[in-house]
Amino acid sequence: MLELKNIHKAFGKNEVLKGVDLKVNKGDVVAILGPSGSGKTTLLRTITFLEKADQGEIVLKDLNLDVQKATKKDITKLRKKTAFVFQNYGLFLNKTALQNVMEGLTIARKVPRAEAEKRAKEALDKVGLSDRYDYYPSQLSGGQQQRVGIARAIAVNPDVILFDEPTSALDPELVSGILDIIRSLAKEGSTMVVVTHEMAFAQDVATHVVFMDGGVIVEEGSSHEFFSHPKEERTKQFFSRFISTDNYII
Amino acid sequence: MRLNTEFMKETFWLALEGVPITLKITIIALFISIILGFILALVEIHRVRVATPIITAYVSLIRGTPQVLQILIVYSLIPSLLNAIVQKMEINFSVWDIEPIVYAYIVFTINTTALLTETFRSALLSIDKLQMEAALSVGLTPFWANVRIIFPQAFEAALPNICTTTVNLIKGTSLAFMMSVKEVTAIAKTQASYGYNFIESYLDIFVIYLILCLLVQGIFAIIEKQAQAHRKIVRSV
Ligand SMILES: Nc1ncnc2c1ncn2[C@@H]1O[C@H](COP(=O)(O)OP(=O)(O)OP(=O)(O)O)[C@@H](O)[C@H]1O
Ligand SMILES: [Mg+2]
Repeated sequence: MLELKNIHKAFGKNEVLKGVDLKVNKGDVVAILGPSGSGKTTLLRTITFLEKADQGEIVLKDLNLDVQKATKKDITKLRKKTAFVFQNYGLFLNKTALQNVMEGLTIARKVPRAEAEKRAKEALDKVGLSDRYDYYPSQLSGGQQQRVGIARAIAVNPDVILFDEPTSALDPELVSGILDIIRSLAKEGSTMVVVTHEMAFAQDVATHVVFMDGGVIVEEGSSHEFFSHPKEERTKQFFSRFISTDNYII
Repeated sequence: MRLNTEFMKETFWLALEGVPITLKITIIALFISIILGFILALVEIHRVRVATPIITAYVSLIRGTPQVLQILIVYSLIPSLLNAIVQKMEINFSVWDIEPIVYAYIVFTINTTALLTETFRSALLSIDKLQMEAALSVGLTPFWANVRIIFPQAFEAALPNICTTTVNLIKGTSLAFMMSVKEVTAIAKTQASYGYNFIESYLDIFVIYLILCLLVQGIFAIIEKQAQAHRKIVRSV
């Protein structure tokens, strides 16, 4: 359903993505793992042109874009089929929780107000914020803000939701609440790509795991085979740092 | 030394009659400057090839010269310049019939626009890049992302500086007497000159300007409070 072909991206002379291919099927939960600086965030951002890749192809359902030739119209179309959940929430500071969720419906997708409000409330209810509709981001905790971020993403019924380390800005005690929400979305069949450092979560929720290093995908596979039998030396090394600490969490 | 209180009272009411002129200059200059300054700030930020350096130069020029000098130059330069043009093009129009207050509008607009361009520029740049990225991600076009998300936040960030600029503008209009505009200061000066009651006159308008500026600050305090609704703390449930 979502396919990236040969994505290249450099910042000046720093080649951050060196030809990445990735396929995501409907209902997949893809976890992207990898050391800091390996290009995970950049890859995610190139999918919706928050970062314009230098070269490559992005296919989403019937939309097939050569990144070099994509027009503004194509890009907006692509963005309307996707949703992005940011590490630092990225809520609109001048809007309430409800308005944050409605914005993409009323303004971007021309959904009538009443219907937009209904859908926005449903989304907020789903993430457990039925008592916070009229709160501004500054009046919400980090965990609540990220819930609004997720509600904003699911309200538009996107084909795929992209998460960039959705829990890494949160206090440890708030992490599991957010992960539970993502887990329940996975159970409902949402297609998601999640950049994360939460190994236990990736192991548990992801259907597919991708390990990136140095701007390329070093190894990928089903969650089970990936965690039980990593093939590449680089992957094993990376895990050795986590496995021991992870055991404490589980 | 004794103050002539009778004169003081009389002049106070007379000078008050200049307040509408003072406010007219202030409001017209402010209105045009807010619109123009915002547009110029956008152009400056978007690095338009020729326009951006011109705007940057204009802002530094105005900020780097005394207002008195700007008034003197505009008031002596523009009429002569216009007159030359009118004569050359053989238009039947007497430049010397233009009301002095028009020059006041021009000077104070030129000055305030420069200050507000700078204010809006820094306000726009102060908005976190993430706000734009989030807006684009929910499917807004760049145009709507600006109109719905970025500009409102930038305006709010600019409000304290717009208030300061407005207060300075009101105070600055006291120089309009140099262009023979009959505003508060001009009236006070004229009254004083009859009997050399300068101290009384100046004390009068000291109070008038103080009241005007306090009023403006009060109005802006209300606007800011409205604009910052999202900063107020709601009782947690
Ligand atoms: N806007 C940018 N300008 C210049 N360099 C950038 C930019 N964004 C990212 N980079 C560089 O690209 C490389 C990859 O960054 P990226 O954020 O994709 O890594 P990451 O895998 O997400 O790391 P982390 O786990 O720390 O989030 C880094 O070397 C970073 O310095
Ligand atoms: Mg990252």
